[in-house]
Amino acid sequence: MTTDVQSLPQTRTKDRVSWFASPRAIPYVLLLPAIVVILSVVLVPLLVSFWTSFTAYNLTKPATLYQFVGLRNYQRLLTNGDFWWAFGRTFVFVTITLNLEMMLGLGLALLVNKITWGQRTLRTIMMFPMMFSPILVGFQFKYIFNDSIGLLNNALFDLHIINQPIPWLVDGTLANFSIIFAEIWMSTSVFAILLLAGLMALPKEPIEAARVDGCNPIQVFQHITLPFLMPFVYIAMTIRSLDVARAYDMVKIMTNGGPAGRTELLWTLMTRTGYQNSQMGMANAMGYVSIILSIVFTFYFYRKLVAARTFMGGAQ
Amino acid sequence: MATKFLAKALLASVALATLSGAVMAQEFDYGSFPGYTLKVKLIGGTQYEKLYTRIPEWEALTGAKVEIVSSKNHFDLDREIKQDIASGQITWCVGSNHTSFAPQYGDLYIDLAQSIPASELAKYVPGTLQSAMVDGRLVQLPRVTDVSNLYYRKDLYEDPAKMEAYKAKFGTDLAPPKTFDEFKQQIIFFADAPNLYGTAFAGKDEGMSGRFMEILRANGGDLFDANWKPTFNSPEGVAALQWFKDIYDAGAVPAGTVNYTWDEIGQAMAAGQLAVDLDWPGFAGFYSDPTASKIADHLGFAVAPVGTSGKRGGWSGSHSFSVTEACDNKPAAVSLAVFLTNDDSELMEAEAGNLPTRSATFDAAVKYFNENGKTALAEMFPIWQASLADARTPPLIPQWIEVSNVLWPQLQAAIVGEKTPQEALDQAAAEATTILEDAGILK
Repeated sequence: MTTDVQSLPQTRTKDRVSWFASPRAIPYVLLLPAIVVILSVVLVPLLVSFWTSFTAYNLTKPATLYQFVGLRNYQRLLTNGDFWWAFGRTFVFVTITLNLEMMLGLGLALLVNKITWGQRTLRTIMMFPMMFSPILVGFQFKYIFNDSIGLLNNALFDLHIINQPIPWLVDGTLANFSIIFAEIWMSTSVFAILLLAGLMALPKEPIEAARVDGCNPIQVFQHITLPFLMPFVYIAMTIRSLDVARAYDMVKIMTNGGPAGRTELLWTLMTRTGYQNSQMGMANAMGYVSIILSIVFTFYFYRKLVAARTFMGGAQ
Repeated sequence: MATKFLAKALLASVALATLSGAVMAQEFDYGSFPGYTLKVKLIGGTQYEKLYTRIPEWEALTGAKVEIVSSKNHFDLDREIKQDIASGQITWCVGSNHTSFAPQYGDLYIDLAQSIPASELAKYVPGTLQSAMVDGRLVQLPRVTDVSNLYYRKDLYEDPAKMEAYKAKFGTDLAPPKTFDEFKQQIIFFADAPNLYGTAFAGKDEGMSGRFMEILRANGGDLFDANWKPTFNSPEGVAALQWFKDIYDAGAVPAGTVNYTWDEIGQAMAAGQLAVDLDWPGFAGFYSDPTASKIADHLGFAVAPVGTSGKRGGWSGSHSFSVTEACDNKPAAVSLAVFLTNDDSELMEAEAGNLPTRSATFDAAVKYFNENGKTALAEMFPIWQASLADARTPPLIPQWIEVSNVLWPQLQAAIVGEKTPQEALDQAAAEATTILEDAGILK
């Protein structure tokens, strides 16, 4: 009996060793480097930043990393009007930008899909705006929309459309419009390329059958083309919603969230709090509350994606 | 008699020899560091990098090598330095610094007064050196000083029609403004949008906070009292903010000025779109360059106006070099910092139109400008030098940038009409109070 009890741990150790040597372990062993890398570059920073959101962590005072303040950062955020305005503005910004990009991208994709000569060249040209750094795009539009030396106002003056400069980057509505315009200019082609891929994969048979049955082009688009494209639309929406919600570079360059916080988005506020003010604990708390926004958009678009794929039948 | 004369002559020659020996002793010893590589993080940008062409001279002098491990604009460099502090990776020795940023970095940098002889430090402009100190420690060696004065278009001020109209309207001769009230009056008088604006101001970031602070101090107010309680929501503060609001409401500045920083203002002035510009000395070279500026032939300079207290605000700051506490060869690092701010380096900075930090350089620079046909800069230098007497930095506390970041959005809110000046300043004062209480500065 004594011998049996002593041999038990040895048996377990042997089992473990033999499991690692077995063919069943090979996939896990091969994945191990990837798992370690992902844990170190994603999970560890996530946990550390989550911890700091409960501390008074100041970037220039490393010792404050261990100064636990409980929920104080989150409590302050709840009553911080500037943060919630930025949160709401980011929500509206993402919603408007995504919908406009989707509609324009769809239009572009449908037009390019009709072209039989030079389509490849056009597809390449469409991708040009995506090749620019967002910072450069920000500078470009900052000077286009500049009220005194800007290209747009000068053109409007020359055409005698205005006799007083339009403060594009100052007025609350116009400033947000200008930023949305710049964002759309840069990224509509993402939608166009993805939807064009969907259109190119579209089977011809259902369309031809619908035409034979007497459907007009609008009915074909509404009942055949668009439902088929919806999974592509929602994938593009999911990817872009995360991108747009992270909008920082262009806003930083064009207005830096101003004037008077009129164009303040979550990332300009967070960056100012974390890096300029060194309040990294508070900035990370803002980040974790902001994740709600990304989760809402991602959850919504995935549900829509699943529904669209179910509608397509057999595409799952 | 002859013996007496001989004794006196001997005494004089001994004294002279002692004096010249003392002068020689005052020459800074740059040391010898053969084989050593000094890692540095320096501010980048065209106007800053010309000085770095002197680094090979220092390398030849000391035998060391300089490795520039980072070269960025100051805001990105500031962010990188904070990340270095957070991660404990201070692997470099010399860093570019600024009087506005320096208080944030705690004990990152050494007290240079402990490493540089007093005789060497005496060569710097005393007020400039004083403003480079944080908590009584000389944490940076200033390389160029900034203080704002007036650039104006002489063609407008000397235009007979405008002179007559101004005299008829205000009863005084048209001349560069002596007070901020007169400045406002002239800004509004000259404005003829969209072709000509009275002026433009940096309307966001620390630029907005600094300009407000300047007029607030000129009006006799200040940002904080002796116990660090925010006092900028005082009547002097409201009057200072009202000044900006008045010229904004009158359409005498571009509406976009609330989004402008120095680049846009400089471009607008050089394009002839502004009548007057209260700005840094660094723009003098640009404005007086006929290949880049439309106003080069009629550029005038005047000392900054005074406020209602009869004083100048004198918002000032210096770009500088600091040496890290973690440096493995501090003498080499100090040697480079001194070399890059010595008389020759300062003359190089001054020749580019920057305000030097060594007293002797001012005269040398004016001589250089006159000899090289740069009469505008020769005219500008004494004016800017004179205003250094009134120069004051923002509060040298680590929380200044944070306070500035709650102040300027409120200033903007008042300027664009979302709040009254008093409401905006009260809000900013409440937020600043929280920041200073959290930091333990305000009890």
